[in-house]
Amino acid sequence: LDEDALLPAPQNISILSTNMKHFLTWSPVIVQEETVRYSVEFQGEYEREYANESWIPTSECSLITGTVCNITEDISATVAYNLRVRADVGARRSEWGTLKGVFNRITTSLTPPLMKVIADGYHLLVELEDMGPAFQLRILYWKKGQERKVQQKVVKEVRSVVHLDTMEAGADHCVTAQTYVDAINRSSSFSQTQCVRAQGDKSM
Amino acid sequence: TAGNKILHFGACRVSMSMTEIRAGFTAIKANIQARDPIRTLSILSSPRSLHKVKSSDRCCITHHLLNFYMDKVFKHCKTEDSYVNRKISSIANSFLSMRRKLGQCHEQNQCMCGQESTEKFKEILANYEGMNVTSAAMKSLGELDILLDWME
Repeated sequence: LDEDALLPAPQNISILSTNMKHFLTWSPVIVQEETVRYSVEFQGEYEREYANESWIPTSECSLITGTVCNITEDISATVAYNLRVRADVGARRSEWGTLKGVFNRITTSLTPPLMKVIADGYHLLVELEDMGPAFQLRILYWKKGQERKVQQKVVKEVRSVVHLDTMEAGADHCVTAQTYVDAINRSSSFSQTQCVRAQGDKSM
Repeated sequence: TAGNKILHFGACRVSMSMTEIRAGFTAIKANIQARDPIRTLSILSSPRSLHKVKSSDRCCITHHLLNFYMDKVFKHCKTEDSYVNRKISSIANSFLSMRRKLGQCHEQNQCMCGQESTEKFKEILANYEGMNVTSAAMKSLGELDILLDWME
């Protein structure tokens, strides 16, 4: 690679991590009328401390044209990771651009689960979003007006619909839920409370 | 789910994410074991199985074994297959995270090394040192499920 072959290293490298899905992003390197390709590598704490600070190519981002890389599969332990990306155009190659600071998945932002509460006759059901194997769900439900008698159900293997309770005729029941990720031992905030009414008239 | 479990090592209780480690190992087990031609020898199981270790010695021998894998095994298992290398990295970094948690028990003197664990670990080292480094490391990695089963 001769001197003028050097490309600028990618800049503005940052992580977007939500609900245990982790993405590395950077600003494009602009080269007129040329396709710039990027490669991403990661380095865990083990590599720093025991493997001569070696770097490992990511599973999904070798010579890609986009400026976003899904590193979820590579960030698979709760330790601090370094990340870097470089650019290639033909025979020209940039230096590595490295993420400022480290990334640990324990810092992922956890959002409340999407859910839909359903009154199916006298049955209180909740339809839940499947957020992946890392997630458990904690569901709280109660009869309106009896907020002191909240019941809880923890769902470890998330399925689309969960039966919570059998309701009294005409009674209102309310539900809220949060996610829990035991790999990082953290929970999301609770979702907005949703209330539904069972069919029939209220008992006298 | 990611399956954190509370593992009991004598007086030491530690929450560990075993499912991710097992998934990582299962994904490469056949590949790794195919690289281990000597089927008649074992690093972890001979002459005495790990299962014979007393409960009070479990924490110490686990601590030794985590260090053993990080110091002497993972780094000598680099392959030409980047998928396998990534899975090894994942397991190694999870071991590092586990050893950190176990270290807390070490600090609280809940991880004392008895005669038995010291002897057992010496056997494992002797088995390892009886082979060339790469073969011994690859065999040790291929036996990871023996360790995981015993830990759980």
